[in-house]
Amino acid sequence: MGKNKAILFPSEDWFRGLVSLMGEQEATYRELGATDCTMVVKVTGGASQGTGEDEGEKFFEVVFEDYGADKVRELASIEEASASHFVLEASLETWREMIDNIRDNGSPDLEHTLNYLTFPDDPMLVTGPDQLEVDTFYRYNESLQRFFNAAAEFPTSYA
Amino acid sequence: MYNAVVNEGLDRMSEMARGNFDLDWMDSNPAGWGHEVKPGKTGLTLCDVETGHYDQVPEHGSSHGSLAPRGCMVPDDTPSLDMYTLNEMSEVWSDNARHLYDEACNRQWNSTTDVPWHKLEKLPDDIEKSVCQMCTGFVEVEFVAGDMPAKWMCHINHDFHEVKLFLATQIMDEARHMDVFRKRALANGGGLLMASPASEELLAAILQANDYTTASSLMHIFGEGFILTLFRTGEFLAPTEVEKTIFRLCMQDEARHVAYGVKHLKYFLERHPEREGEIHSILDAGEQAIFRLTLEPQTIEPRAILAGGGIENIELGMARIGFLYSKQIREYLHRLKVAGLERESRMVIPAELSVETLLERAGVA
Ligand SMILES: [Fe+2]
Ligand SMILES: [Fe+2]
Repeated sequence: MGKNKAILFPSEDWFRGLVSLMGEQEATYRELGATDCTMVVKVTGGASQGTGEDEGEKFFEVVFEDYGADKVRELASIEEASASHFVLEASLETWREMIDNIRDNGSPDLEHTLNYLTFPDDPMLVTGPDQLEVDTFYRYNESLQRFFNAAAEFPTSYA
Repeated sequence: MYNAVVNEGLDRMSEMARGNFDLDWMDSNPAGWGHEVKPGKTGLTLCDVETGHYDQVPEHGSSHGSLAPRGCMVPDDTPSLDMYTLNEMSEVWSDNARHLYDEACNRQWNSTTDVPWHKLEKLPDDIEKSVCQMCTGFVEVEFVAGDMPAKWMCHINHDFHEVKLFLATQIMDEARHMDVFRKRALANGGGLLMASPASEELLAAILQANDYTTASSLMHIFGEGFILTLFRTGEFLAPTEVEKTIFRLCMQDEARHVAYGVKHLKYFLERHPEREGEIHSILDAGEQAIFRLTLEPQTIEPRAILAGGGIENIELGMARIGFLYSKQIREYLHRLKVAGLERESRMVIPAELSVETLLERAGVA
């Protein structure tokens, strides 16, 4: 991956960028321990070329297993998601603010961590088919945070 | 001059010295011999080895009552420990116990080197006091979740070793939680502040519960579910990267404990629906205790100060975290639903607690 070429968010390529950095930094993830969860990122309010059920909605599924994540795919709708999953939902504007904050600081400041953004259910919402699925977001939180922190390592462009 | 036991041992050793060995043990367990395992990507886990012959967990735990490992050949004269009272699988089992044990082993951390203590910074007095009071509360409650499993472990039939192993990891997790909050309270020029009488009521109910499953429902689902949300609150309100890291790491452990509790209650209720009433009764007591605890000044006020950014904005802070209580209740009810328990209509405390409702009740609005 060329580290100076901006990658479009949201896109499969953008998540693959993070996944490939996860592979390069496997030692970091080993330190935190193995993960076992499926994350669906839902982006709302983007440019209206979305494939999602509502205009502008986009869904990306990332399957975390052991010390990496080898499956990334865009979903046409949430119905296509694996049975076990949690959803992280936010507007494109919120995702952009979080990613830019990570890029600017090298890691999120106190007000842009995943837990900070999701805890009040606004501006980011975490949901799932049941509470135990939602709980996997808490159970692997530090690893998931580290995954998004890698967004500091390449420029992102937005739709 | 030696007693009978020593003489018997000496006779046996004399036989061995003459080349007469028993060797019966070598062919004692044909069904368990030739076992094949395949390590996964994370190494050789308990889930990897507990297959085939060794995956047969008996519904009724062994009657020999010893520490003999499940799946081995147990000689008839093996003496019982006479300790086990939890001999039914349904009383302790959870389908995720084995996996959670592997995960706990794999995701251990330590409060000595995994927290960026060097990033601690001098904080305004009201903020430091609020952090220290929050930590005092956690130091007080955390190890009940170590004491409770410790109280029951030696009563769990050894055939359910996955549950014992998972509970052992929980005890270690709770030791780390108690220690990391104590360290944070003492590390930045502050110290411990006020204990919480209201917590003691809930802690006593957990430790004094009549049976393991009611104790587990009260602790793993109810108590630890609430604590999990408080850890999320702590991360949300943290004034520095130090507390943020502490709360994120603790949150991960706590979600494992909750996951065991939910799946255990599910497994239990599927086999003993007639015991639902007992679970409801202990939750009645738990809800009332946590209600008092939630509203105790030493619990709520430090969080309100942190949420407001200082004591001068404590009211604003109260409003800002007004959603906290209803979030705790919502997640608690959803977890019980996964376990197969419909609780919403049985709750003995309000589901919501907004500032507006409280002002209305006080005749202010
Ligand atoms: Fe804990
Ligand atoms: Fe816990």
